[in-house]
Amino acid sequence: MYKKLFKKHLENFISILSKFGVVYAPVKKASKLYDFTELTDFKELQLKYTRTMIPPKKFFLKPKEPLYLLNKDKGFKEIVDDSKTVLLGVHSCDINAINLLDRVYLNQFPDLFYKTRRDNTIIIGVSCEPDENCFCTSTGSSHALRGFDLFMHEVDDRYIIRVGSLKGFQIISECKNILADTSLPDIKEFKRVEAERIKRISLNLNVNGIQDILDLSHDHSAWQENADICFGCGTCNLVCPTCRCYDVVDYLKLDLKNGLRARRWDSCMLRQHALVAGGLNFRPTRVERLYNRFNCKMSFSEDSLNCVGCGRCTVYCPADINFVEVLNQVRED
Amino acid sequence: MTWIIKNEKPKIGVFSLTGCAGDQLMILNLEDTLIELLAKFDIKSFQEASSYSENTKLDIAFIEGSVSTDHDLKILKNIRENSSLLVAIGDCAINGCVQAMRNNQTSIAERMLDVYGVKDNVYNALEPKGVGEYVKVDAEIPGCPIEKEEVFNAFISLLNGDMPLIPDYPVCVECKLNGYPCVIIEESKPCLGPIITAGCDARCPGLGLDCIGCRGAIRGETNAKAELETLRKRGYNDKYIINRLRFFAGNFEDIKNLGVREASKGERDE
Ligand code: SF4
Ligand code: SF4
Ligand code: SF4
Ligand code: SF4
Repeated sequence: MYKKLFKKHLENFISILSKFGVVYAPVKKASKLYDFTELTDFKELQLKYTRTMIPPKKFFLKPKEPLYLLNKDKGFKEIVDDSKTVLLGVHSCDINAINLLDRVYLNQFPDLFYKTRRDNTIIIGVSCEPDENCFCTSTGSSHALRGFDLFMHEVDDRYIIRVGSLKGFQIISECKNILADTSLPDIKEFKRVEAERIKRISLNLNVNGIQDILDLSHDHSAWQENADICFGCGTCNLVCPTCRCYDVVDYLKLDLKNGLRARRWDSCMLRQHALVAGGLNFRPTRVERLYNRFNCKMSFSEDSLNCVGCGRCTVYCPADINFVEVLNQVRED
Repeated sequence: MTWIIKNEKPKIGVFSLTGCAGDQLMILNLEDTLIELLAKFDIKSFQEASSYSENTKLDIAFIEGSVSTDHDLKILKNIRENSSLLVAIGDCAINGCVQAMRNNQTSIAERMLDVYGVKDNVYNALEPKGVGEYVKVDAEIPGCPIEKEEVFNAFISLLNGDMPLIPDYPVCVECKLNGYPCVIIEESKPCLGPIITAGCDARCPGLGLDCIGCRGAIRGETNAKAELETLRKRGYNDKYIINRLRFFAGNFEDIKNLGVREASKGERDE
């Protein structure tokens, strides 16, 4: 189902959204930095943005979060955050990334903390502004088929809104006064704008047979060359919308009886990531860690890669290691 | 990792070698919890807090300051002999810190002449080094000075029979967890965060400043060459970068080894 919202009604639309939860949307924080921030001032909203540094996964799997209150005698108590949230302006790549995280955190053994927030969050997509680091057409994530409640495609002075869920339908029903039905010219224009947007995604990553290529190139010199200039700083993982690893720590209170169990995002580029009890580290060197990261991102689970082509790891790497270039280097010989 | 607690109230001592005593001060700055915290220990020495001092066997010795004189070395060896655990607190005790800035660059005689106007080593000075160069160290709490929170958690861990948990990853991680703009990426500032031990919650980048490395380079993971390259590409010259790296980490092998190369064109010397 498609509806049409003229831009002049956007502020109104957002005030209706705020009835469904606290609205978070992209806000510009520095020259290259956008961040999903609580929208308190409509003027701060930046629906035309390249990418946020920290992906929207931060709402479901928080960068740092308390999990349990501990007590030596009474056991533990979960700390669950069930606040209602609306994420406005999520790009297709990031929606596809959330779909990947859902497989890990919701299937089989659902993660209570993730699931609670996922259930309490409305996701509203928006068409993206690709730059030279985007390669989502290569990873099949330039379009979102599911994983959103509404999706707003910007077409000139209006948004063509796609409804993706029952919750999305409920929002639409509240917006009767400001929404209109789409007409044939709208759809024609929509198709033209979409095709034009896709054309702007010019960076290509050949993912054909990529798993075999990586398997066969374990000894390729590109790994060592890049490991030599890599800091092992973890940035590439921490900004990646599909990275899902965390580390758990207990903090005790002075009475040594009460405490807090918390987790924070981890990174396979950090040397303690593969350290296990007894002191064995099965990826002690940076080159092993780098190889592992590229393998993880380029492996297929079910039908898709673990990379959605957002370009963040390249943009934010302080050592200027370029994700697509490394893979091309490995493929070339 | 764990250690065996022998006494219900572990006997502790807090000692200073060459340094500014800022780390002892940071322990005293734990105002809200200090009395309650220290009551869990049997304090045998605490230079900055009390003139009372007992020369006795200890469960844990906390040492701040670097070994910079003969005298420091003698004190250190005595403490080590008398303590089950030795914890180096602060960058000076861990690696020599600011005192080690000129190590291997000028001789002690030159430094004596510069500062005191005499060539003779009247104070029996040694090249400043961390205590680990001379004795076995069981745990380290980095920082210049150490972080209150980290000290507090370290004390609790020790009371619980655990070893202190100290990050061994760089400041960049904390920048990301906090969503701070990266000052290298955004503004080409000469940030040392990628090779510096986290634990300050990326205090400086959080304020828009570049990290100068006060928590010390990361043991065994410092890619100093990559830092040199990263900052060169952004227009800084070798001399500036190397001086900056040596400020807190002059004793680090890979920083020592960089050497000063010809300054490149289009340099930026701030
Ligand atoms: S962001 Fe760059 S420097 Fe940091 S770990 Fe990743 S590849 Fe290495
Ligand atoms: S690997 Fe890089 S490009 Fe791919 S999803 Fe992660 S951050 Fe984006
Ligand atoms: S500001 Fe410095 S510490 Fe923070 S991410 Fe950038 S390089 Fe790393
Ligand atoms: S200089 Fe670096 S390590 Fe020190 S407080 Fe600032 S950010 Fe942290």
